[in-house]
Amino acid sequence: MADNETHLYLHGKPVEGFDECHEHISPMSIYYKVFGALLVLTGLTYAVSYMSLGPASLPVAMVVAVAKATLVCMFFMHLKYDDRYHVFVFLSTLIFVAIFFTFTIFDLQSRAKINEEQGTFFRDQYDREAPPPPTLPEGVELAEH
Amino acid sequence: MEDDKSKHAKREPSYLVAQKGLKSWLFTVDHKRLGLMYLASTLLFFFVAGIAAIAFRTELLTPGPGEISSVLEWLEMDTTQSATTYNKLFTVHGAVMVFLVIIPSVPGALGNFLVPLMLGAKDVAFPRLNLLSFWIYSLGALFFIYTLLAGGLDTGWTFYTPYSSNFSGSAVISATFGAFILGFSSILTGLNFMVTIHKMRAPGMTWNRMPLFCWAIYATAIIQVLATPVLAITLLLLIMEKTLNIGIFDPAMGGDPVLFQHFFWFYSHPAVYIMILPGFGIVSELIAVHSRKHIFGYKAIALSSVAIAIISFLVWGHHLFVSGQSELAGIVFSFLTFAVAVPTAIKVFSWVATLYKGSIQFNTPMLYGLMFLFTFTIGGLTGVYLGALSIDVHLHDTYFVVAHFHYVMMGGTIIAFVGGLHHWWSKMTGRNYNEAHGRWGALLVFVGFNMTFFNQFVMGQQGMPRRYYTYVPQFQQQHVLSTVGAYILLIGFLWTAYYLLASLRKSAAPKQPIADSPWGGTSLEWHTQTPPIEHNFHGQPRVDSDPYNFPQIERTGDAEHH
Amino acid sequence: MSDHDSPKAHRPEGASEPHPGHPFMAHHFNTPGQQAGAAKFGMWVFLATEILMFSGLFLAYFIVRMNYPDMVLAAHEHLNKTAGGINTVVLITSSLTMALAVRAAQTGNQKAILRNLLLTIAFAFTFMVVKYFEYSAKFAHGMLPGKYYHAWDHGYLIEGHPHIFFAVYFCMTGLHGIHVLIGIGVLAWIYVRASKGHFGPRYYTPVENVGLYWHLVDLIWIFLFPLLYLVR
Repeated sequence: MADNETHLYLHGKPVEGFDECHEHISPMSIYYKVFGALLVLTGLTYAVSYMSLGPASLPVAMVVAVAKATLVCMFFMHLKYDDRYHVFVFLSTLIFVAIFFTFTIFDLQSRAKINEEQGTFFRDQYDREAPPPPTLPEGVELAEH
Repeated sequence: MEDDKSKHAKREPSYLVAQKGLKSWLFTVDHKRLGLMYLASTLLFFFVAGIAAIAFRTELLTPGPGEISSVLEWLEMDTTQSATTYNKLFTVHGAVMVFLVIIPSVPGALGNFLVPLMLGAKDVAFPRLNLLSFWIYSLGALFFIYTLLAGGLDTGWTFYTPYSSNFSGSAVISATFGAFILGFSSILTGLNFMVTIHKMRAPGMTWNRMPLFCWAIYATAIIQVLATPVLAITLLLLIMEKTLNIGIFDPAMGGDPVLFQHFFWFYSHPAVYIMILPGFGIVSELIAVHSRKHIFGYKAIALSSVAIAIISFLVWGHHLFVSGQSELAGIVFSFLTFAVAVPTAIKVFSWVATLYKGSIQFNTPMLYGLMFLFTFTIGGLTGVYLGALSIDVHLHDTYFVVAHFHYVMMGGTIIAFVGGLHHWWSKMTGRNYNEAHGRWGALLVFVGFNMTFFNQFVMGQQGMPRRYYTYVPQFQQQHVLSTVGAYILLIGFLWTAYYLLASLRKSAAPKQPIADSPWGGTSLEWHTQTPPIEHNFHGQPRVDSDPYNFPQIERTGDAEHH
Repeated sequence: MSDHDSPKAHRPEGASEPHPGHPFMAHHFNTPGQQAGAAKFGMWVFLATEILMFSGLFLAYFIVRMNYPDMVLAAHEHLNKTAGGINTVVLITSSLTMALAVRAAQTGNQKAILRNLLLTIAFAFTFMVVKYFEYSAKFAHGMLPGKYYHAWDHGYLIEGHPHIFFAVYFCMTGLHGIHVLIGIGVLAWIYVRASKGHFGPRYYTPVENVGLYWHLVDLIWIFLFPLLYLVR
């Protein structure tokens, strides 16, 4: 088949030019804008940590981190302009991470309740008694933090 | 289907002789040579782990301490170490089989050899990465060999904490590090296949015209890529725990040993699908070609492979039913375990339907394919029993589990692998094995295997625990039966090795080169020279249909294998 | 033109085999586009494996945090937020310069490629230097992982099992640091190749792929920093 003529294929489909390859080049301004946004969001991360949000502090911090990550992925890593399949690979990975986290934490959370209901007890770990308060050895003073 | 003119091109030197010298093998980037090297290595380790099994099966002939003590005495070693030696033997058997044989064998040996050929490509996407995978595999194997020389490992292949982290005096760190390294080989192989299958299919080969073996390798690659990194981090944490006592798995330090099991099985359950999915791919090829009938339910088989790959990530907790995991989590995992059996069953039905009204040739590859259907189905069904939470409470850590996984891993993967080896033997080596010998070998393996493992289901249900060095006398007869079966199985495999190696002798060279497609297969690997030239094809093959349309293609050449 | 059809024995050496008309074209691909597409896709799959590897450590962190919330709160006060903050800015900036290096390769601006790669390497070094000071301070205060923890000898009292927190801290930042070091090595290799003029609009795949790796290192730190250093 490809003896004398040159039949070229890209992803299984024939192409005309040998160098046919479509890549998007972002303008410089995008990079600087994203950089600026990332710095602002970093500042926000700091600010959030100093507010007393209580139990909401973790989710809020994570939302900010996800925003930063999205900017890095979409613009610095070019996912916005890339083959859609790469986005699929990336998101699927996150889904599997979520599966790992969810099921394991689900087990750990539901263990305590069920053990309590059934009166099962484990020594050491599930007593969750605090270990004895730490003491300073001889001659050591409490350090200023 | 357009031919690639291999029939008309003059015969070129095959990939086996195209380049000469040891360096050309050790530094090769040719996927076919790498496949052969993986084949040799995995078969070598198969025998090493098999001998370990023969050793401890011999010990189990008697209820009390027996052969191991005698051997230790003869070697003038401490006989109080007999029980530990027994633990080391089954650990070696398990760890070597899992990490050095079953996981790498089908993707590494057959996958490497066949996938580019089946896709009509000249090589995998990243040939040098392929070579690196093999070197990494060899490095991991060296760590395992070192472990053996350093006194072995006695924790079981599952490395459960706190024994492995706090109490075992054996070579845990080198074995763990070896497995860590082997994981990277697996990841890189999976990565290579994923990209190859996505990007390097021949013109006209849509996803639905790919051989099912490639679908299986693709699904396997998904699992390899996603699950193995978690094993890497688990083993790293275990090494940290052992060296630094970080306390994450140690209850006395505030950690949780069941956490190790979660981390470990998050990889190891999908890992068993890494082991079996390529076997499924092989069986699809064997059954279709040797019954000369279009595979039934191509899409069902293809998509069920991917479905298995995905669902396999949701069921790892069924290994933790009695570990202290919460019952609620247990119920969820049990339900999902039933779900993962469904795509597998779809495949088995499709294969049986393929056989129906096919023109079945009872040659050796087909015998192994049929054997697979029998043994894998038993293994798979017993897996469903174990997936039922309440039953597992009774059967966990008994011989029932041992029988189950041997039926799926040996009766599944190894049987499929050996069948595939026979099916593609001429393509890989340019030689024919003796068909009569092959059939006897298949019979020996079948008889030996079932004799060894079938009654272990009964033993397990009656309460015989696994990994026990001694046992109550009521089980002795069954253990003797198992051990005799193991010896028959050994003879069967040795016989198979003998006649396959015999076919490689100079004197066994065929007078005329073997035809491109001696079995009548129609996928692209059968459209090129036997054995293939270094670049696989002369030019770029095209396809316009899937590779299971048999009546249209004449078998090229005679069936020289009789 | 089609080198792969030549009948003479052709060393299958992959990307090192020059193709007439296009440098660095491998023999087993049909077009440069196929090669570049395959390389990028392979890199994304590799990034997926890295994400999953770190996810194990993140899960360990979350579990320690779930089991010992007070201890984690007390122990993480001892982490140097300023150093962490500096490192975050350093890494984000290095991501910028890396992305600019890739763009420079796309537009064929050889000087800019070299300049941006050098800047990225410099920032990576800065990161490691700051990390070195952080770690030294921890070692000096006896805050070591696991059984080597002895902060009480230096006057620091933290209730609970602080050695677990510091174990997780060192494992996570340590593994991340190893990836930064590997990144420096890989960036240096790309710098050498760039200085030889290998990269341009027709071929810049290695720069792009190293860029993807480097952005992943940044991504991991984006999550690591608030979780370890900042969250209450």
